[in-house]
Amino acid sequence: MSFNEKSVLANFKLVKAPIYSHCFSADRTLLAITCENKCLVYRLQGATSPPSLVATLENHDKTVTAVDISAHGRIVTCSQDRNAYVWEPLSDGSYRPTLVLLRINRAATSVSWAPSGYKFAVGSSARIIAVCYYEQENNWWVSKHIKKPIKSTINCISWHSNGVLLAAGGTDGYMRVFSGFIKGLDSKDAVVNSPWGDKFPFGSLVREWYQGSYVHDVKWNSSQERIGFVAHDGSLNVVDSQGNHQTVDAPEGLPYRSLAWINNNSILCAGYSCHPVLFSEANGAWKFAKNLDKVSDANAKKSTVSLDGNDDEEENNAFGMSALKKFKELDLKGRVSTAVQHSAHENAIVELKAFQESNGQVVQVSSCGLDGEIVLYNV
Amino acid sequence: MEDWRRIDIDAFDPESGRLTAADLIPPNQAQVTLQELQPKIQQIRSMSTSGDMISAIQLATSDPPYGADDSTKAQYLQAVLEALGQTRQADISNIIKQLSPKQHDVLIKYLYKGMSVPEGQKQGGILLSWFEKLTQEAGVNPVVHYLSDRRTV
Repeated sequence: MSFNEKSVLANFKLVKAPIYSHCFSADRTLLAITCENKCLVYRLQGATSPPSLVATLENHDKTVTAVDISAHGRIVTCSQDRNAYVWEPLSDGSYRPTLVLLRINRAATSVSWAPSGYKFAVGSSARIIAVCYYEQENNWWVSKHIKKPIKSTINCISWHSNGVLLAAGGTDGYMRVFSGFIKGLDSKDAVVNSPWGDKFPFGSLVREWYQGSYVHDVKWNSSQERIGFVAHDGSLNVVDSQGNHQTVDAPEGLPYRSLAWINNNSILCAGYSCHPVLFSEANGAWKFAKNLDKVSDANAKKSTVSLDGNDDEEENNAFGMSALKKFKELDLKGRVSTAVQHSAHENAIVELKAFQESNGQVVQVSSCGLDGEIVLYNV
Repeated sequence: MEDWRRIDIDAFDPESGRLTAADLIPPNQAQVTLQELQPKIQQIRSMSTSGDMISAIQLATSDPPYGADDSTKAQYLQAVLEALGQTRQADISNIIKQLSPKQHDVLIKYLYKGMSVPEGQKQGGILLSWFEKLTQEAGVNPVVHYLSDRRTV
């Protein structure tokens, strides 16, 4: 229990629906989450008191699948209704929506602002990545498509800090790196001496890795020019421009849905096991380092043992043994389930994001889960 | 009236480029023919008849014929099933302990495949005890890998 208290900094039960995606503003005062077909914006009030709802963004008519906040505070949401909205913050705290026509015929699944905040990429089930940017002369968000050679739904996207390279993973089992270079918006200086190539015309495939199973999340480590991704076979993979590919399996076997780079040699993963797991690199090999907020088996066992002990004398009674036993087991189950300790998340964790950094190392991480909770972890 | 909700609209769109069965085959898969595989099948058989079960299972679970056609895979499966079935219950966990995680992943593919064919169902009990011992040793890892792996046996 003491371990739990140490690693969980805050636990906000916000909604009764799954939270598929969440994002904090750059100054960490605002929190945006997806909830059914809305996006809710909260203001943080410290780790102990619950965040207060400041705005409800409701223009989508189907489930909102992803949300991201740019460096300038603009919120972008995308949804299964095949649209994206950019929400411009106004001085009175409300948001003005602008529809972005993505020109896709399937659900949008993931969205990410480029570090500059002037363009964003949307992954979709239409086997398309839409890179969208604002055109001043038309007063309109333009969407350009990356199509080839994507064969299936894009699950996740991640921008390199240079704002040009775009990593994307999907259900076709590939993790690919594309160029998201927009003429007139990006400068070629950003990719000078890049180890990934010389020329980056928009939409060109830079690299690809075959993993075989659904790729759930991908994250750049731009300073090291490496990419981490997690897949549905329960693996964490780290690749680089030289073609090196390192894999490590989840110790508990269940797949991860998300990852976050903690520093150059450690990655935090989380997914269906409901608690984050830290991996670290030593001598060029990635290894399991530790579990965060894991309910220890020892505690769970102790509670059942004590319950068994209490009922010893009744078990000697031969009469109506099986029926009595059945009832007792039912009863026992009920009591055990209340006594069982839960990890902070009671359902799968679907997204991890870096929350606070210090000395080039992430020290706090936020997560959202299918249980409708936002949790802050100390790493 | 035609049930328009069930019309496969993608079939009318040449640009749809939807996934076909061929798209799901992993790239760079080496093709294996029955002739190339025959010596290995013989070797597995002779090892299991001579009672060297550990070597038989280890050979069977390393480098399985992913890139072979269905009838070749079936012959290989037959040899693997014989080896699995001839192993004594008491030896199973010992053999599993000597396999690598990669071999665990291959072994569970043959267990599932065996349970899906009549020849394997006849000895379902022994396949289940293999499965039980395997999950005791390796947890759910091989099962998760099996579910998400497109290389089939």
